[in-house]
Amino acid sequence: MRRLAAAAALVALALPAAGAAGAPLTVLAAASLTSVLPRIDGGERYSFAGSDQLALQIRQGEPADVYAAASPKYTELLYRDGLLRKPVVFATNRLIVLVPKSNPAHIKSVYDLRRPRVKIVVGDSTVPIGIYTRQILDALGITADVTKNVVSEETDVKGIVSKVALGEADAGFVYRTDAKPVASATRTIPLPAWAQPPIRYELAVVKASKHRAAAAAFIRKVLSKRGRLLLARAGFGVPKAR
Amino acid sequence: MRAPFAAALAAATAVALAFLVLPVAAIFFRVPPGDLIGALGHGVTRDALLVSLKTSAIAHACVLLVGTPAAYVLARRRFRGRALVLSLVELPLVLPPAVAGIALLAAFGRVGLLGGTLDAVGIQIPFTQAAVVLAVAFVESPFYVRGAIAAFEGVDATLLDAARTLGAAPGRVFARVALPLAAGGLAAASALALARGLGEFGATIIFAGSLQGVTQTLPLAIYAQFEQNFDTALAISGLFIVVGAVLLVALKLYPWFRFASIFRSRFAISTSS
Repeated sequence: MRRLAAAAALVALALPAAGAAGAPLTVLAAASLTSVLPRIDGGERYSFAGSDQLALQIRQGEPADVYAAASPKYTELLYRDGLLRKPVVFATNRLIVLVPKSNPAHIKSVYDLRRPRVKIVVGDSTVPIGIYTRQILDALGITADVTKNVVSEETDVKGIVSKVALGEADAGFVYRTDAKPVASATRTIPLPAWAQPPIRYELAVVKASKHRAAAAAFIRKVLSKRGRLLLARAGFGVPKAR
Repeated sequence: MRAPFAAALAAATAVALAFLVLPVAAIFFRVPPGDLIGALGHGVTRDALLVSLKTSAIAHACVLLVGTPAAYVLARRRFRGRALVLSLVELPLVLPPAVAGIALLAAFGRVGLLGGTLDAVGIQIPFTQAAVVLAVAFVESPFYVRGAIAAFEGVDATLLDAARTLGAAPGRVFARVALPLAAGGLAAASALALARGLGEFGATIIFAGSLQGVTQTLPLAIYAQFEQNFDTALAISGLFIVVGAVLLVALKLYPWFRFASIFRSRFAISTSS
């Protein structure tokens, strides 16, 4: 009984402490932000995972202060349902074609992917990277020819990157930011801007947060000049300052 | 003193059973049997089922064809380094499937050890059904060979010697004496290996990739579907449980079939004489 009381006292002590200024915020963020967010603000507690999974955690009332998602789909839906404050776009991403450094199929532009027997790896139609890839192929009007060359539909972007970096596939469609870590083994081929689907990252304060002022300050930090510079350095696009 | 111990044993057994059975049963709580059959008609599931059946059948045939004589030799012969050979055969058993996939890529990939040679003769293995077959065979073969060695070791050596002294050639001894006597153990090993091969995931996704109708086997389809189509993933999982249960029950029933057939043959002999 005494031990229980002691534990309760500890919890009571801990609670106001967390509310004090300078206590780390809990930031739920998309996996693709893993390396860049801690660089912008190293003092917070981050939980990186798939945006959909994080959205589910917020719905189930897990304590969190900020949510940063890889697609507006998740943030806007949570905002509609009153679980988030108004989300803001803080970064964008682009699709690129990744080829092995040796470039065995001599790919110089995305249109070379139409040639027969080029081995292309894409994302499965159930994951965002696969959906975006199909959108850009449609916009370029080369869906049929490229689809014929697809040798694998991977369930996450890591599977695409590794198969290209290992030299097993001739080309793969990935996010621009995924190419950085494998820059020594691969080359990137840009895709035309006019065909790019909008890939937007949004973040927002969680309404149930007990540290909403600190959370808003965190968002300002991400949107600041320094935050935008670090995002750009990681390969993200940054929207115009407001 | 005895009663508390018995109670503890019973409780431990109950906990173990509940832990193992509950998740399996939970799948069927969420998938009515009607949906299970309905999901088999679903394009992704049907394609994956066909790919799985085809690649597993080919891989399994290769494993039986090569593994049975190999197991016979390893069971009967005593030679230097036998323990080492046995360990090598069993190595894939203790490797994570992902390691198997990486190893297969390192050996047969385009930039792998044999990749250049294979490429020169126009063979490219990654991303083809041949890659799935290799992955499945690599992962399931130790299950079969291990069981088959035990089965052949269980055969009374004096029977084999007797056959030989009566003038049977080594091939005949293998086919007419060793094989029938080891049949029960071989069947058990074969079923286990087949089930393991059907469930292969890690080596396949790394070495063969995943493409519907070509390399996407049932386990890969579960993984691809569960993010968007949880019901389809559940239905395929249910299918696996049914197949696995059928295999295990068949194994348990096998001695009965055997007993019945021996009984029948004895009976037939006694009536004919």
